[in-house]
Amino acid sequence: MTFKEIQELIKLINRSNLTEFKLKDKEFELTIKTNKQDKTKTVVQQIPSVAAASPVMPMPAVQQPVAPAAPAPAPAASKAAPAAPAAEKVEDESKYLAIKSPIVGTFYRSSSPEKGPYVKVGDKVEVNQVVCIVEAMKLFNEIESEISGTIVKVMVEDAQPVEYDQVLFLVDPS
Amino acid sequence: MNINNTLFIGKVVHNYNELPSTNVYAQDLLSKSLPIEGTVITTFNQTAGRGQIGSKWISEADKNISLSIILYPHFLVPKEQFILHTVSSLAVSDLLTKYLEDAVKVKWPNDIYIKDRKTSGILTQNSISTTKINYSIIGIGLNVNQTDFPSTIPNPTSLKLAAKRDFNLETLVSELCLCVEHRYLQLKSGQQNSLKNNYLERLYKLEEPAWYQRADGSKFYGTIKGVDSMGRLIIELNGHLEYFQIKEISFLD
Repeated sequence: MTFKEIQELIKLINRSNLTEFKLKDKEFELTIKTNKQDKTKTVVQQIPSVAAASPVMPMPAVQQPVAPAAPAPAPAASKAAPAAPAAEKVEDESKYLAIKSPIVGTFYRSSSPEKGPYVKVGDKVEVNQVVCIVEAMKLFNEIESEISGTIVKVMVEDAQPVEYDQVLFLVDPS
Repeated sequence: MNINNTLFIGKVVHNYNELPSTNVYAQDLLSKSLPIEGTVITTFNQTAGRGQIGSKWISEADKNISLSIILYPHFLVPKEQFILHTVSSLAVSDLLTKYLEDAVKVKWPNDIYIKDRKTSGILTQNSISTTKINYSIIGIGLNVNQTDFPSTIPNPTSLKLAAKRDFNLETLVSELCLCVEHRYLQLKSGQQNSLKNNYLERLYKLEEPAWYQRADGSKFYGTIKGVDSMGRLIIELNGHLEYFQIKEISFLD
């Protein structure tokens, strides 16, 4: 199972009313528990079975809260409440464009520890401007933006692993 | 300095008595102009060479070679870039093999070893967008005539220590350019498979059981079986294969 597939699965489960989900086959076992009371925590454990014959992909820990679950049936007192804020937030982000990683590697915001980041939230970026470095097996890649706009969010922490096509920055093109 | 033995590498050479870093100079050149493919920047006294982010390459003045080559491998997509390591590490080991009887090996991903000691490090810097490698700077540091090394460097050696004689640095630069050109033309003519096979033939500790350490500090005994297309190191342990990226593993002996 790929990291992406697991992410998809978490999203699906979060949108559902499930509190626990188990998947097991020859190669591995996956358990996802959701805490529907406070709706912020998702605990994921992937346990490779001892006899696993397939390559074990390095798996970044899934710690960040994923998209909030759909609102539970509202108690009577608040039934007049308007659309959930969570939904509004998702809509907001949809107008942004993403700068994605063209390769698997390690994400760096600056060219060396002594230097400041290439870009920060609020900075304007132009087409062909370098926005970060992704290092893969000692190949250092300056990533050029293919879009212009304003950086609204940095999606990955410095020195963290990134997957192919993972969103690195959100950019407001307007 | 003139490099006459090649077709396109080293037709333009920027040669300095001293430079902080040939790779940084190459980047600077690329930001201000469009240097022709094969442009070489070289010095025998690099004062601020770099290894991986945060680590430094220490070199004594006028004894070693620092060289950067600018290439435009537009025919590669970013995902295929590990083949550039194959080209550069084979080129450096081709050059050393010419002068040495000792085994010259490529320690994954791209350090060049004479027996169990490092004699060369390669740092490649690319500029990429979603579908294309815009340019590639291949930076090569080669220990040539240096015989004393600070004790902080774990296991260094030089061409002189191995061959027991001095070398002319300019001659070696010219030969190194020819070696890189030969391997790069092999890549351009579609011979990726023979490059990969040659890389494996020279891979340090291939099929030799040895101790390794994971990023979390745990140690294990395993055997290198090869490298996948992304450049990850494949190690067999306890009957199954694991794939490692650079920060996930270190060699223990």
